[in-house]
Amino acid sequence: MLLKFVFRNIRKRPFLNFIKVFGLALGLSGILFITLFLKNELSYDAWHKKSDRIYRFTTKNPAFLNDSHFAREINSWQVLQMTDYFSEIENYTRLAPLRESIMFYDQKYYDVNQAFICDSTFFEIFDAELLIGNRETILDDPGVMVVSESFAKKVFGNSNPIGQIMSLPPGQFNAEKSDFTIKGVMKDFPQNSHFHPDFIATPVQGEIQGWAWSYLLLSENANPENITKQYRQFLADNSEQTIEEIQTTAYLQKITDIHLHSDKLREIETNGNITNIYVLAIAALILLLISMSNYASLNLGMAGFSSKFMAINQVLGSSKNTNLKYFLTESLIVVSLSILLFIIFSIPVQSIIKSSFNLNLMEGNFLLIVTIVFLFSLMGIFSGIQPVLKQRSGRLNSGVGKFEALKTSSIAANKGIIVFQYTFAIILIAAVLVISRQTNYALNSSMGVTEDNVICFESVHASIQQKFDVFKSELLKYQTVESVSAMLDPPGGEANDMFPFEMEGYQQEESSQERLGVLPCDYSFADLFKLNFLSGNNFSEKYEDNEGSGEYIINEAALFQLNYSDPDSIVGKQFQLISPVQGIEIPKGKIIGVVKDFHLSSIKKKVRPLVLFKRKNLWMINFVISYKDGMRQEAIDDIRAVWNEIFPAYPFNYEHVSTMYRQVYKTEILQARLLSVFTLLSVFICSMGLLGLSLLISRQRTKEIGMRKVNGARVSEILSMLNRDFVKWVIVAFIIATPVAWFAMTRWLENFAYKTNLNWWIFALAGLLALGIALLTVSWQSWKAATRNPVESLRYE
Amino acid sequence: MIKLKNIDKYYDSRFQRTFILKGVDLEVKQGEFVTIMGPSGAGKSTLLNIIGLLDEPSAGEYYFWDEPAHQIKEKQKVQYHRSHIGFIFQAFHLIDELNVYENIETPLVYRSVKGKERKALVADLLDRFNMVAKKDLFPNQLSGGQQQLVAIARAIIGNPKLLLADEPTGNLHSEQGEMIMKLLKKLNEEGMTIIQVTHNENYAGYGTRIVKLIDGVIEEDFQV
Repeated sequence: MLLKFVFRNIRKRPFLNFIKVFGLALGLSGILFITLFLKNELSYDAWHKKSDRIYRFTTKNPAFLNDSHFAREINSWQVLQMTDYFSEIENYTRLAPLRESIMFYDQKYYDVNQAFICDSTFFEIFDAELLIGNRETILDDPGVMVVSESFAKKVFGNSNPIGQIMSLPPGQFNAEKSDFTIKGVMKDFPQNSHFHPDFIATPVQGEIQGWAWSYLLLSENANPENITKQYRQFLADNSEQTIEEIQTTAYLQKITDIHLHSDKLREIETNGNITNIYVLAIAALILLLISMSNYASLNLGMAGFSSKFMAINQVLGSSKNTNLKYFLTESLIVVSLSILLFIIFSIPVQSIIKSSFNLNLMEGNFLLIVTIVFLFSLMGIFSGIQPVLKQRSGRLNSGVGKFEALKTSSIAANKGIIVFQYTFAIILIAAVLVISRQTNYALNSSMGVTEDNVICFESVHASIQQKFDVFKSELLKYQTVESVSAMLDPPGGEANDMFPFEMEGYQQEESSQERLGVLPCDYSFADLFKLNFLSGNNFSEKYEDNEGSGEYIINEAALFQLNYSDPDSIVGKQFQLISPVQGIEIPKGKIIGVVKDFHLSSIKKKVRPLVLFKRKNLWMINFVISYKDGMRQEAIDDIRAVWNEIFPAYPFNYEHVSTMYRQVYKTEILQARLLSVFTLLSVFICSMGLLGLSLLISRQRTKEIGMRKVNGARVSEILSMLNRDFVKWVIVAFIIATPVAWFAMTRWLENFAYKTNLNWWIFALAGLLALGIALLTVSWQSWKAATRNPVESLRYE
Repeated sequence: MIKLKNIDKYYDSRFQRTFILKGVDLEVKQGEFVTIMGPSGAGKSTLLNIIGLLDEPSAGEYYFWDEPAHQIKEKQKVQYHRSHIGFIFQAFHLIDELNVYENIETPLVYRSVKGKERKALVADLLDRFNMVAKKDLFPNQLSGGQQQLVAIARAIIGNPKLLLADEPTGNLHSEQGEMIMKLLKKLNEEGMTIIQVTHNENYAGYGTRIVKLIDGVIEEDFQV
């Protein structure tokens, strides 16, 4: 009978019950996906069995590149010495980047996304799974290559890769061609790894020298601080310097901390961010809170509908637990329905996440999912029986003739919840506005993004660089191509190289070794990226300058570093960069122009002083091409034709510069997207709660509305009477939300060296949006109540 | 059967104590049909609610079949509601979500009567009240008189010793009211003790005894 009553009751108010179910399902989906995402983020690199003992070794030295902290170690050979020196180090492995991004096999070049030359100890440290090969011995010989499953598939299709030889073509980092023999195939690294090599290989000859990401396996219970503290002593023991002279500091970072806690230069891949984790965790909690409170408040409100049932039951001799059973049954049904709805939601959401982030969140998390759903259901059921609990604790009276008691107290409770929710919603809306604005600003101040007509060939091979001039002149024959240039660092990349310099009239202390950032580029660079000249001219259209007539263009930051403030007065000054690389001379010459600061790298960092200079066929690693507006397809066809003619063996791989910059601001874009989803979700849930409440209130005031109308009130007056309270609550929420949002967003913007203003209109807009949504929600119900025939509503009582 | 001794019911507000009932002594024997009368606000319904164990007296003693009802626990009250007391109200108070049959059946469900037996009992009562054809209808599909009939059926299906009726005819027109009163009289003649509250002098005549309540005090108490 109880079940019958519950079902009829739900059927009787399909809309309100749908709100309950929908709100719970939305909340559950949000919470579940966030939890799964967080679990994934927190599980990075924990799949290595020895992950608690693997540390990444890095150093920092104030004399080296401005005290920059690199994720990889330049003096990686010392790791061998360290292993002997420190008893704590059980083993090590180093990953030297394979900087040419192509490999040659059977007349063709293949793109390589990520690959390393590694020590033979690779498999002793990392638990990558070998499909073919013996992990103990496979890397013992020089020139051995182990490819990932997907790379093997890409190059060899279904044929057996074992025994095949792939070669690394000669390039600017290696003078000769090196051959590697494939001896093994490993499974692709799991998504929650901080690196995903296409292949690893042992050096063809000798040992790894220079830049390498270095990992140490410490013995059990070893204290990593022993190593970092003793590091100077170690250096002193192995060099002629005394310990006082040594300024290098060593750092050891747990491998499991790399993904979330490392923000160094030259990370293998872009890492996650712990702040995002906190933000998401808080968001999940708040989501839980609002979906539960909405459900509870709506339930409490709707308990008024069944209060008669309960009072009569008491008279008819029901036991005390009947009410409990009733609400239990009802919330059980509502919760089950919402789980059902959640399952319906989660299928498309899962596939969207899978396709756009390559993340299978559901996989292997069955138990976690069941636990979350179970806990959520428990909480849902608990919220559902609130009316009974309140009644028990004596706050609500039931009894014949006191049916009204339930209704009034529930509305008072609802007010607080609504204000809280709208506070949250307004903060979210403001955050979305600020973050989107800042991201837009960041993208628009990036080079070549606004017009979106620049493509880039990233890290082209040395032999391609050699033919840049031919490529350029061929391309310029086409109508569709606007400009062609090349540069050392890719758009959005880090320009970390710094050269010493000499300048007319500029005194440098001898020991100071002052340096300026450099960006070797082609003469069309400023033209292509439409840099603003503050003074002077662009490069002359030559690939090379003669000694004595070298041309240098500096940016504003460099102008200030050189102690000038007027761009006109620095133009024409004698200037020379001194190449730190043996055998490469940079011609003496003059500063011929000053450009406004441009954002090659992320706007999170201040623009560094930068000198642009020309090099023919050297350091021109990234080709950039701009095409005429609206001719995208034709231009790309033309470029492809030229490419295939000049570089037939090389893959035609380009990227729009806008995409590359979007990659730079990946975190922010993701944040903006996630927050938008959250905002939508929470505004939706809030609206549902508000709708439920307005339904209750207008129902409760039916008689009053009828009376007022009979006495001559107009619909508009009734409407304003019903809406006034809601407006008041939203305004209270706005007053609470604004300072919180302002504070949070100020903190967020501190990440950026260049930022948009926090204008008052952002908060006003957020408040107005919230108000608008609230009014729209409430008015729907109020309008219905206000336009009702008073005769009808009076008869209702 | 029912013995009220010096019953008070009052509410304390900040400055004064408002009495609803003051020093009410009342004894009702089995088989009586008592009508409580009085102007609005005299405390009739409160008295009925106290007798029906829906409300508690502020002071005084109440014996229900020699049991001190002013001391009994919540659980025992439930037992009394299940087996000894039936209620009918002015506003009928049928459960809107349940149909006629289910409404009548409800008290039996709470008394854990088996399904078959329930069916038989309800069918019997429906038959007696001439409502077999209406058993699948919902309360809002019935007229006021019919609703009250269902409410009475629901109140007596558990075969209670005491039937409390709070203005059972208040929402009905005279013809329907008369019908309900005749029914109550018949039930009384069959042995049921009934206490009703009413304003209507005519309907008071159906009972065996009249108690007049004014401002919470019994003014008159006489047999008809």
